[in-house]
Amino acid sequence: MTAALTAEGLHTYYGKSHILHGVSLSVAEGKITALLGRNGAGKTTTLRSLMGLTPAREGRITIFGEDTSRWPTFRVAASGVGYVPEGRRIFANLSVEENLKVPLEREGPWTIERIYQLFPRLEERKSNRGRQLSGGEQEMLSIGRALLLNPRLLILDEPSQGLAPLIVREVFRIVQQMKAEGISVLLVEQNARMSLEIADNAYVLDDGIVVYSGTAKELAADEGRVRALAGASAEEWTLT
Amino acid sequence: MWQLLLFNVTNGLIIGAFYVLMALGLSLILNLSNVINFAHGGFLVIGGYIAYTITPYIGFWGALLLAPPLTAIIGLAVERVLIRPLYGRDPLYSLLLTFGLAFMIEDGTRFIFGPQGKPVTIPAFLAQPLSNELFFITGYRLFMVAVVVIAVALLFLLLRYTRLGIRIRAGTLDLDTVAALGINVQMLRSLNFAVGIFLAGLSGVLAAGQLGLEPTMGTGLLMPSFIAIIVGGIGSLPGTLAGGLLIGVASGLTAVFFPAASEAVIYVMMAVVLLLRPRGLFGEEGMMS
Repeated sequence: MTAALTAEGLHTYYGKSHILHGVSLSVAEGKITALLGRNGAGKTTTLRSLMGLTPAREGRITIFGEDTSRWPTFRVAASGVGYVPEGRRIFANLSVEENLKVPLEREGPWTIERIYQLFPRLEERKSNRGRQLSGGEQEMLSIGRALLLNPRLLILDEPSQGLAPLIVREVFRIVQQMKAEGISVLLVEQNARMSLEIADNAYVLDDGIVVYSGTAKELAADEGRVRALAGASAEEWTLT
Repeated sequence: MWQLLLFNVTNGLIIGAFYVLMALGLSLILNLSNVINFAHGGFLVIGGYIAYTITPYIGFWGALLLAPPLTAIIGLAVERVLIRPLYGRDPLYSLLLTFGLAFMIEDGTRFIFGPQGKPVTIPAFLAQPLSNELFFITGYRLFMVAVVVIAVALLFLLLRYTRLGIRIRAGTLDLDTVAALGINVQMLRSLNFAVGIFLAGLSGVLAAGQLGLEPTMGTGLLMPSFIAIIVGGIGSLPGTLAGGLLIGVASGLTAVFFPAASEAVIYVMMAVVLLLRPRGLFGEEGMMS
């Protein structure tokens, strides 16, 4: 099994505070890998390190066989890594359509028309400013924007955050669809239960250390662990 | 009386058009790169002297076409070599650097071309007044305003409809996310810087034909351009446009009624705007945070 992404022994700091203490993980090609953990465990920092936004001070990152550890962010993205950041980071001053014109135009199947087919709601709102969108629409726009890069690997940071349960379902369905398209996915989530339903592999991060790595199925079976990860709120999700 | 009034309003609009060209370039660079470019007036001077140097060979029209891109190329080199290493640092560093650069350009020009003013010959038909009544409106003045209008329109079209322009506007808000979408933000900053310096070069050529050239001419236009940005609202290019015209006309009008205050009035305007609406006329809250 080849890996889309491998990280070995990442140590990342914000100023003087040491956030990641030797994080290693791997995203198998064509699979969904979930990265779980409580708030402040270092999930977002891990993604920012992989993207070169907060470069790791130590460690090695390999993406599709290339050592990207020292690459600037744009080069990592341009090699085929779509990134859906925490909080969506929509360009609030641009229209929906303009937001979709920001990403680099890489060769591939995704076009703005196809994004509109996937998210008809975005086409209806294409002249609206980013700041006028609802949370769900912003999430669709953020995913659509990343897909327009025609990524081979898609990295999503808490796509379900702050969304209504029905929309969360929709977002997870899209993530599964991306897998079906052959895109490898690294998914960071608070919503442990639903992530484990769609993920193939899983990692659990705690205080900047990987405390679980294995299949998603195995982790999902460990009820105590999932409960601890998810907290009470996750119980509601599974009912819908 | 009405002729004097008209004269000064027209004058104010023309000066305002200069402020607009200068201030838009400054604004572009400030918004995307957080660089307060004190050397912007220096680039105006470079543009003017390039025009002066090449006019004898290729004429005024050739100089008008060539001097701005040549100035932009010099700007590109300056950005690449001097300013780029400072992007990660506090904006104070680039401010000090460009402040020093402004002096170097001024003294360098004085050293090469001498302290005396240099005239740039404009085509004879542009030097004619439009009529005997309106003796003060020469064809050149109208022509300058027309060039500024075209340049500003092209700039806004570029920002509105091209991917480069859309990315520049996106980067103004969130450069990290632009980079995470595969865009080389260093390149984006360089191109954006070049566009800003192109506008400074263009102002230089136009100013040379109207006022003649002096090594110090950039400094005089720089301060009002900063004020145009503040009055219009930092972060808003339409605001910069309005701010430039507004302070130009205000100082023109003041020249009629109270000549001594015609320069002070723009500072008064800035103070009033900042007191009543601290973010400027068109500015959005928290643009600088």
